[in-house]
Amino acid sequence: MNRKILITAITVVLAVFIVATLSGFVGKPGAGTQNIPSGDAQTPAVEELEGTIRISGAFAMYPMMLIWSEEYRTLHPKVKFDISAGGAGKGMADTLGGLVDIGMVSRAITPAEEEKGAYWIAVTKDAVVPTVNSNNPALAQLKKSGLTRDEFEQIYITGTIRTWGQATGETSNNDKINVYTRSDAAGAPETWAKYLGNYTQEELKGVGVNGDPGLAEAVRQDKLGIGYNNVNFAYNLNSRKPVEGIEIIPLDLNENGKIDPEENFYGTLDEIVEAIGNDKFPSPPARDLNLVTKGKPTGIEEDFIKWILTDGQKFIPESGYIVLPQDKINEGIEKVDSSA
Amino acid sequence: MNIRRLKDSISSRLMLAATAFACLLFFFMLVGLYYRASPILSTEPIFDLLFSKEWSPNAGKFGFFPFIMGTLWVTGLAIVIAVPISLLSSIYLSEYADSSLRAAANPLIDLLAGIPSVVYGLWGVIAVVPFIRNIFAPALGVETIGGYSILAGGIVLSIMVFPIIISITSEVMRSVSQDLREVSLSVGATKWQTIKHVVLRKAKPGIFAAIILGFSRAFGETMAVLMVVGNVYRVPSSIFDPAYPLPALIANTFGEMMSIPLYDSAIMLAALLLLIVVMIFNILARMVLIKIEKGVI
Repeated sequence: MNRKILITAITVVLAVFIVATLSGFVGKPGAGTQNIPSGDAQTPAVEELEGTIRISGAFAMYPMMLIWSEEYRTLHPKVKFDISAGGAGKGMADTLGGLVDIGMVSRAITPAEEEKGAYWIAVTKDAVVPTVNSNNPALAQLKKSGLTRDEFEQIYITGTIRTWGQATGETSNNDKINVYTRSDAAGAPETWAKYLGNYTQEELKGVGVNGDPGLAEAVRQDKLGIGYNNVNFAYNLNSRKPVEGIEIIPLDLNENGKIDPEENFYGTLDEIVEAIGNDKFPSPPARDLNLVTKGKPTGIEEDFIKWILTDGQKFIPESGYIVLPQDKINEGIEKVDSSA
Repeated sequence: MNIRRLKDSISSRLMLAATAFACLLFFFMLVGLYYRASPILSTEPIFDLLFSKEWSPNAGKFGFFPFIMGTLWVTGLAIVIAVPISLLSSIYLSEYADSSLRAAANPLIDLLAGIPSVVYGLWGVIAVVPFIRNIFAPALGVETIGGYSILAGGIVLSIMVFPIIISITSEVMRSVSQDLREVSLSVGATKWQTIKHVVLRKAKPGIFAAIILGFSRAFGETMAVLMVVGNVYRVPSSIFDPAYPLPALIANTFGEMMSIPLYDSAIMLAALLLLIVVMIFNILARMVLIKIEKGVI
């Protein structure tokens, strides 16, 4: 009898606990971080900033974020960073769930996400480029003629182009195209699908591989493979050339069946960055990269984001990203400053 | 009441509470997942959800059949690969190997059990997937999409369950009384006959339990499998096809769920399904185990 009462009591307590956890599934905002009053970004901070900023999300932004965090730490040594990459989807879910303070999201933010409290600020820009193995049998032809948006659509969405011969027009080539895509919810596939004609990630055909590095590796290992990567995973930051084993498929933008000199800017990271910067490379697959917080950022997060939008901008070009137009940056600074 | 007895009574109640909590966890999960999955269950009959093949959340179509089949294929293949290999090696380790070899092998096998899932996944990507693409599939004359397939998932998964099955099975076999072996040997049976007719028969329930334990873990091994299995929304028809097991679906799409209506509910349903699949597997296994213990099988 005694035991029965005890068990019932425990059950009731636990049930309340579980229901409480469930109903608060999206969690408490930014719990666990110190709320340090931030100094004004323009004037040097009077109070020494300290605390930990937890960041997760898009692979596309990960290399840039590492540089920003290191530079920021030289100014504020007491601020610690905890940065991980797991795809834009994870960044969004982690931020709204209160697991991290800042999410990196490499795609547009949906109204549904804004409704749940996602507060976003565009900080830089990059692009997604189609990739192919450097031993691909049709490589020479691909480099010469490129592929049109329509041809990519037939490879990735409708599946009507199945061989490399069909893609390049050399009918003698019957090598099958092994199509690769991302399996995890991410910005790169969303952007790529949008470029192919307002599709979504679910509609991309092909074998799903986890993460940006995984997709690069799959194409690097499969000479009949086709994939796509964020610029910073398709190019090597040190050599400024495409990652060894991978080539970029040029986009035939004017659809004249050949890559004209003004369409040819894939040789080095700097060339493609310049092409994205002056809009020779279309958008999408170029896209803004956003930082997301749950509600308006405060404390050290606010200071960090503001620093990224001001002093932090000077580290962008050398890292292989593109600086946003000044009015867009001003818009971002206003968004951080506004007392919404 | 003296303090000694009070302590005793408090500690026993605490332990009872802890036990009750552990036992009830399963039901809390079931209820919690059902609660979160109920929106999608109220829009469509469960039968349609389970057996529809179309998955396109943006169009509001949630068909779980490819994922359920993907889970069953990968786990089934892993069982086929893992059970014979781990049984033979545990027979060798407990019956034939001398103690120095056993002392060397056991820590290595235990080590295998502690390796994180994602390491197995990476190894699968750099070793198993290319092996299937470059050697295995061409040798059999079948086509794969770059080697990402159920076979790759099954191989990686089977290696992950080896250590659990091997260590428990050899433990069980070593616990079989030495007297039984001696009796069998004394009537002229060979070593193998003794193992087959005496040791294995005696150890059968324990071995079966070890296999169940191994595969209860295998059902949910997400990272390693999703890295090599190909993640394509399609009902597989051979082990060289890519598949999309339920745990991979949950891990991959968890991030996108808030922007599409009913998506989060569908993912919760996927988790609920996985829980139920594992539960059914365990109940069946338990029934077989009871039969074995009664000596029916």
